[in-house]
Amino acid sequence: MRMLRLLTVIMLLFSVAPTITAQETITVDFYFPTATATITNPEAGESIEAVFNRYAAAFEAANPGVQINVVYTGSYTDTRNTIQTEIAGGGAGPDVAVMLTTDLFSFIEEGTILPVQDFIDTMPDGEAYVADFFPAFLLNSLDEEGVIWSIPYQRSTPVLYYNVEQFAEAGFDAPPRNRQELAEMAQALTLPDGQRWGVWLPTEGFPIWLFSAFVIADGQHFVEESPSEVYFNTPQTREALDYIISLSRDYGVMPGGTLSWGDGPSIFTSGKASMLFHTTGSLTRILNEAPFEVGVAFLPSGTAGEDGTGYGAPTGGGNLYLFANSTPEEQAAAWAWIQFLSSPEIQSDWGAATGYVAARRSAWELDPLASLVARRPQYAVARDQLAFAQKEFSAYRTIDIQGIINSTLSGIISGATTDIEGALTTAQAQIDSLLAEYR
Amino acid sequence: MRNSSLASIERIKAAANAAQTGKPINLVPYLLVAPTLILVSLFTIYPAVGSVVSSLYRPPRNVRDPSTFVGLENYFDLFDPTHYIGSTFLQVISNTIIFALATVVVSVPLALGFALLLNRRIKRIGVYRFSLFYPALLPMIGAASIWAFLFADPLGLVNTILRTFGSRGQNWIGDPNIALFTVTTVNIWKQAGFYTIFYLAGLQNIPRDLYEAAELDGAGECQKLLYLTIPLLRRTTLFILIVSFTFGFQTVEHLQALGQGGPGDRSNLLLYFIFQSIGERRNWGYINAMTVVLVLVLMVFTVTNFLYFERRRDDETS
Repeated sequence: MRMLRLLTVIMLLFSVAPTITAQETITVDFYFPTATATITNPEAGESIEAVFNRYAAAFEAANPGVQINVVYTGSYTDTRNTIQTEIAGGGAGPDVAVMLTTDLFSFIEEGTILPVQDFIDTMPDGEAYVADFFPAFLLNSLDEEGVIWSIPYQRSTPVLYYNVEQFAEAGFDAPPRNRQELAEMAQALTLPDGQRWGVWLPTEGFPIWLFSAFVIADGQHFVEESPSEVYFNTPQTREALDYIISLSRDYGVMPGGTLSWGDGPSIFTSGKASMLFHTTGSLTRILNEAPFEVGVAFLPSGTAGEDGTGYGAPTGGGNLYLFANSTPEEQAAAWAWIQFLSSPEIQSDWGAATGYVAARRSAWELDPLASLVARRPQYAVARDQLAFAQKEFSAYRTIDIQGIINSTLSGIISGATTDIEGALTTAQAQIDSLLAEYR
Repeated sequence: MRNSSLASIERIKAAANAAQTGKPINLVPYLLVAPTLILVSLFTIYPAVGSVVSSLYRPPRNVRDPSTFVGLENYFDLFDPTHYIGSTFLQVISNTIIFALATVVVSVPLALGFALLLNRRIKRIGVYRFSLFYPALLPMIGAASIWAFLFADPLGLVNTILRTFGSRGQNWIGDPNIALFTVTTVNIWKQAGFYTIFYLAGLQNIPRDLYEAAELDGAGECQKLLYLTIPLLRRTTLFILIVSFTFGFQTVEHLQALGQGGPGDRSNLLLYFIFQSIGERRNWGYINAMTVVLVLVLMVFTVTNFLYFERRRDDETS
């Protein structure tokens, strides 16, 4: 009997709840993930959620009648799964979400997102708005026809970290410019029996990201404009594989097998590796933890470009997406929220708070980012490298194809796969069979 | 036994009569079973049936379109070594079998050894028992994170110790020839203490006078172990074998902290691979097919053991 009463109370609560919240205000459901493994901000001492709540409060104050419902949805993967499951199950899903830039074609295919292009076109200064973003960061927003679907938000790119003290001990006063220099300098920096490695190039788990820097610098990225074409079995891939394998096998400057991504910053800051390939997202943490002067440089160049010394890097991170399930009123409010989050002021604050590369040029002229760069010029290296950056790997069936490429690359690099030619051919055939229905 | 079953038949007859004569049926038993029945149907039977059904479909490109019925095609793809899912699935299946067998083969004798050591009257036996049992109490992902730190190359404790002996150490998580060994080791460490408890209970059920009789007959320690202890623990061993083999298929959380199945899926396990494949919505047919395969393997194993167990029990009681 008491059970029944409890049940009645619960049911009543559920039936009353919507009427309590349903007011005249428009609520924008905003989902965001964090990649806490790389982004830390000990200086500000503010959690990512607290930062977003601060932004939401500022936005609500400026836009009466709009309420931002800030929802933390876990990792990038959790966020994607949450949204897909909600929508596939007939739920509303969010109005705005930060998702991986590479999720674009999955969501276009599923028909659940809206192109922000339609909203940009209604802006009086739409062209100027778009032109203020770094072009490399916009590449992952575009479909085949050049329509903009998402707005760059928390973006990153890999850079080369180096230990200035260890460099000076070995007689080097500048970072390596190309792969040959990197290998030779690493050799001079390596100490025997694993006491110190010359370079740490993480290849565990998600090697495709760092690896694509090599093929980009050699002039053939895994993807071009079309999301239904992938170029994996190429001379550039074989060349980059040869180089990475030679770092451990021939030069002896890295351990064999695949190398940990997550441990990379600690290995570097503890002095166990003189150089590190890692994301700019780790910059704040590395600068704070390293007991030595940290140098940041472009990734070593490859053969691309007219003079044969092309730099190259992929971009990474998350963009702001707009969802198709929202009502027109919600869409308008959601677009205003996206504009707010991508404003130079917020981008400057967000970049300084997290270490992500602010996506708009004008953000770099505003404080707090401008004064941060004046104090720590390392932050500007990633921004300058953007001139040579390409999009992050993204195509139809992105996750499956990433899986094939990751598994193939780590298999070959670790030595698990000895038939490199055969493995690349098989992988390309599997990718092509996945993409056949999209061509 | 016979009486109670007769009584229940009488009761069923009475209920049937009541139903025929229009008397109200006693609802209490149904109400008592209802919560469990509802929960089991909602969270076990319904998803299980749903899994089997959706393993026969391929999700559409647009979420609003209906899925396509493809029959057993998803299953054929799983066992096709040229297919993108199949090539990994077959590797993962073989890893899983090695992992489960190695865990059983090492941790069960280890557990017996621990139990024999702990089944003595020593001072502070509780401390020893606790220290062998505590890995079983730790949550797997927490334990695996500690192990990931121990195995980390070059910062981890294991390699730091190896370096003091002049060795360069091993890339425990990133070397394709070692990675599966590493994740299996962690599982053995985690499980052995747990099985020790069962053996300890089994040992304490063996009557002491059997050993006294054996000693009077002049049996040595070795003979007592081989001809008394081990045969008398047969039931316990069987139970542990079932549990440990099943756990071998179910324990995968540690992969998240220990290399995530890499390099090149050399240390990946079935349940973790299913979890990884969730990423692409259009794989849901494959995910459900893999789940059905996993459940079938476990069911075949459990049912055969159950039947074997029951038969033996009947043999013993008759």
